[in-house]
Amino acid sequence: MSVSVLLVEDDEVIRRSVGMALERYGYRVASAADGLTGLERFHAGGHDLLLLDVMLPGLDGIGLCRRVRETSLVPILMMSARGDALDVVSGLEAGADDYVVKPADTSVLVARIRALLRRATPAPGGTPRLVFGDLTVDPEALEVYVAGEQVSLAPTELRLLLEFAANPGIVLDRQTLLHNVWDYGWDGDSRVVDLCVQRLRRKIGADRVETVRGFGYKLRR
Amino acid sequence: MAPWRSLRWQIAALVAVASGVVALAVGLLVHRSTLERSLSLGRDRAVTALLADSPGAADPGPLPAALAARIGAPGTYATWYDDRDPDVPWMWAATGARAVKIDMGGDLRNLRALDRHIVLASLGVLGLVVPLAALAAELPNRRLRRVARTARRVADGDLEARTSAGRGGDEITGIAAAVDTMAAALHDRLRVEQRFTADVAHELRTPLMGLVTSAELLPEGEATDLVRDRVGVLRVLVENLLEISRLDAGAESAERVEVPLGRFAGDCVHRAGLAAEVTVHGDPVAVTDPRRLDRILANLVVNAHRHGSAPVEVQVEDTTITVRDHGPGFPESLLAEGPQRFRTGASERGRGHGLGLTIAAGQARVIGARIGFANDPDGGAVATVRLS
Repeated sequence: MSVSVLLVEDDEVIRRSVGMALERYGYRVASAADGLTGLERFHAGGHDLLLLDVMLPGLDGIGLCRRVRETSLVPILMMSARGDALDVVSGLEAGADDYVVKPADTSVLVARIRALLRRATPAPGGTPRLVFGDLTVDPEALEVYVAGEQVSLAPTELRLLLEFAANPGIVLDRQTLLHNVWDYGWDGDSRVVDLCVQRLRRKIGADRVETVRGFGYKLRR
Repeated sequence: MAPWRSLRWQIAALVAVASGVVALAVGLLVHRSTLERSLSLGRDRAVTALLADSPGAADPGPLPAALAARIGAPGTYATWYDDRDPDVPWMWAATGARAVKIDMGGDLRNLRALDRHIVLASLGVLGLVVPLAALAAELPNRRLRRVARTARRVADGDLEARTSAGRGGDEITGIAAAVDTMAAALHDRLRVEQRFTADVAHELRTPLMGLVTSAELLPEGEATDLVRDRVGVLRVLVENLLEISRLDAGAESAERVEVPLGRFAGDCVHRAGLAAEVTVHGDPVAVTDPRRLDRILANLVVNAHRHGSAPVEVQVEDTTITVRDHGPGFPESLLAEGPQRFRTGASERGRGHGLGLTIAAGQARVIGARIGFANDPDGGAVATVRLS
């Protein structure tokens, strides 16, 4: 069955043209023109990925993102026409996994969507459970436990944690993380790394991921 | 700043000079009045001795000429202070008939002891007052330093910096308040400009995105190619203008990481999708912002292709990157004034908006790199980026 994308965008031309373009790539697209309708459609269920504009009438993209994250770990890709720090940072803080700046080619959108969906599907198994203090990562079942309690991580957070868990105690710089987790080259925005690490820390304990000033991050063994 | 030029030491020196002058004046006055008092007492003693005709008075010896000249009519007397030998002074009193002299050595020694005490006391007070003045000057000094520090931070782009000088109605509070007002005004202006840029970005990019995706949906054909080409040009132009206005607003800051320049330059040229021969000497690594360096290099390579001719050579040596083409070279105006937006020297350099090099120069400023434009003696334009 094909992948279903929920597109929330107030500009009619973008909504229709992006919808048509994604359908050509084989996605099923449902769309909404404002935040509240988008939230309703999302709650109706059946969507594998959310594509949100930041500036929306009524409930804006950031608010919508936050509301969705209260109940769901579905991958969220934000589209921002402004691309300035405030939009991007608040979007990522609200729980978005990635962002694109408008105008984006359909090919770029599709590449980002594919990368996000890849993160959401389980990695090939065969790896034993990894234990770091009171943190337990099961790379096969994609489950994470802190002090015996299961915590739910969004796909990007999970991919980031798996990347750390695969290199425990080793400092990973932002470029490496951008490349391995987000599939970016040099042109990536390293703020997505910082903000995702912040979100990960909130869930697995702040001191578990250590900042190495000027270099990057490492997982404390 | 040399330490002695610090305001603190200037104030201390001023206090020292002022105290010195006061001590000197008071010392001189006391010295004079004491001398006069002891002279007048000496005179009285000498006259009393003269009139009492006491037998104990020593024989004064021959009358000095200066005293003899003072003696007037008979029955009157004259006195004279004899300091011919400065260490053994005498007070003479004489009538026409006889003379006596009184030893003034004791008074002189008292006077000298007084002078010594005054000097010692003055030095003692100076030794106390100068350090106290220096300490007291430290307070305004510290406030002034804070104002200077804040002004420098503002100049370096931290527009949130405030002196928070607060209380006191003196000149330092005045200048601190002026610096704060200046920073606030700059901050407001920058915010307005950033707001404007962001709004313009939104207003331009939203319809442009509709245009881009719609153009992709058009059935293939010659007309579609034309539309897509123009949409592409419009898109690059909008992005470049937004980038320039962000650079102009001065709101950009570099995010530095270690970048292996050789591999980086290769990747960058590859991403730009243009042919260029990359030569790397050694294995140079620079700490810089890779996204901005990527913009600089890509713009230089694109510019070399658009306005120069192949082969385009990119050379990485240490932390210097050179982009060279084999075209007619940069126009004179660019060499003289640097890149100017919308000025390309179109006749000899072909089409373009002149934004690429302006952006390269602006981004270079943000990452603290120096960028130079020159023409090779053998022909061709040479752009040089020096990192760090």
